[in-house]
Amino acid sequence: MFLKRKPHARLVNGLDFAMFTFPALAVVLITTNIPFVMSIYYSLFDWNGLSRSMTFVGIDNFIRIFTIDAQFMKAIQFTIRFAAFYIVIVNILAVIIALPLSKSGLVSQIGRSCFYIPNIISLIAVSLVWRFLFGPGFDALADLTGLEIFKWSWLGTSTLAFYSVLILTVWQSVGFYMIIYVAGIIGIPQDIVEAAEIDGSRGIGHFFRITLPLIMPSVTVCIFTSLIGALKLFDVVLAFTKGGPGGSTATVAWNIYQEAFSKYRFGVATAKSVVFFAAVLVITVIQLTFFKKREVEI
Amino acid sequence: MKKRSAAQIYVYVLMLIIGFVWIYPLFLIFFNSLKPYRDIMIHFLDLPSVWDFSRYADVWVRLDFPKLFLNTIIYTISSVFLTVLLASLAAYKLSRTKTKYSTVVFILIIIPMMVPFQTYMISMIQVAKQLNMLGNRLGYIIVQTGLLMPLAVFLFHGFVKTVPRELDECAYIDGASRLRTFFAIILPLLTPIAITVAIIDALAVWNDILINLLVAGAKQELLNIQIALYTRFSAEQSDWGTALPGIVISIAPNILFFVFMQKYIVKGITAGAIKG
Repeated sequence: MFLKRKPHARLVNGLDFAMFTFPALAVVLITTNIPFVMSIYYSLFDWNGLSRSMTFVGIDNFIRIFTIDAQFMKAIQFTIRFAAFYIVIVNILAVIIALPLSKSGLVSQIGRSCFYIPNIISLIAVSLVWRFLFGPGFDALADLTGLEIFKWSWLGTSTLAFYSVLILTVWQSVGFYMIIYVAGIIGIPQDIVEAAEIDGSRGIGHFFRITLPLIMPSVTVCIFTSLIGALKLFDVVLAFTKGGPGGSTATVAWNIYQEAFSKYRFGVATAKSVVFFAAVLVITVIQLTFFKKREVEI
Repeated sequence: MKKRSAAQIYVYVLMLIIGFVWIYPLFLIFFNSLKPYRDIMIHFLDLPSVWDFSRYADVWVRLDFPKLFLNTIIYTISSVFLTVLLASLAAYKLSRTKTKYSTVVFILIIIPMMVPFQTYMISMIQVAKQLNMLGNRLGYIIVQTGLLMPLAVFLFHGFVKTVPRELDECAYIDGASRLRTFFAIILPLLTPIAITVAIIDALAVWNDILINLLVAGAKQELLNIQIALYTRFSAEQSDWGTALPGIVISIAPNILFFVFMQKYIVKGITAGAIKG
């Protein structure tokens, strides 16, 4: 390196490095890294977020959320149940849509656009759209058709609200996963497909023996993304159900938000957020190691 | 070219019908936004008998959409510009320098990709309050930039490796300063990934709900389109006569953006998703 021979080269290089990287580092530090460390610190205190007095309580907050906080337990149950349903449904649906739409041509392109458009719309608009459909829309359809299904209270009963949240989320996001599966299917080497077809590979068997193993990288990405998305589910709850009815659609992320910004129990809320972080980390590491093993090399 | 079999054509037609049904809720919203409200209950599935846009004009003024659009456009352009600028600068240097400092800085910048937002959200608001970033535009833009930075740096960092190192040194020896070298020689070569980053981030800021609510939500004049709709229509009994045109106006820019940028959006999605 020609710079090394100059005097003060280290200083010049150091300043240079700082000039390029410090602005980016600074905004990340103040919005993410420092708050993260602070959260761990706050989680050991009893604090309402506003007053000057913070009482050190050690791990009391952590004990509290796992023993007497029924709402948090309910939120964990909802989140796990939602994640299980969501991951399976959204991925199977996305693969089924992606298979016929992975050919080139105008028809596929229009088809893909139809499924993808809900994904780029704000969840506020999406939530209002579905609140309108489940509300006045279903009332009108009940009058028109007389079908019982439109008379049910989709947002008013806790059992149905679960499915309403699921329907909205799948409707909004399936296009995203479809795009990734389409990219995966297009990436399959054509000679492998042709060789398999000559050997008589067709239909369902072809899908499970040829297509699926070769799109495992896409499957890993999609399962990972849908898992993270489901565990962190928040925007839909905020805009669509506000956790209701009766807290039946409250997710972990929503519970943390409520704890901090409605109940002003910052100590408990940050303790929950630390537990949330640890849980998400462990689950994703397990999932990634599990799926990475199943990818095949070509 | 292989000839399309009859079965394939059936599948295509079927997929088009399903695709159309899939986005039909949006058409329903649009059609019903043009009907007088009492008609919705009786003629829910019909096309509007008269295409009446007068309620659009009314909602446009009543929700102060010009102001909302201005806010959202300022937020989106500023955050995207800052993110692309700072991320490309940092990623370039981090990719070219191999010291233990550069490794530490790189890890500090990209580690937030692994952390759920709710984990640092609460303390972030505390920090923002201390730095006087709550309740003003600049604060909101800085917070957005910080949250978008990790993925942006990660994507740029991967791409910088495709730009030959010799280019830096040639320009430098020719007397250009380090910064000039970057802006004149390197940045133009990073355009493809810059477009990807800009699209991912533009959609994120335009559709942002939570950050706007937390950082700017207390002040009416700082709301973006989404939060204005949210605060106005999230009550249990919505005034759908006003809400429906409002929803359509809020969705329209996204659809237009999609129509014109489709190719880049799809590329961006795949790039952003395969990061893991």
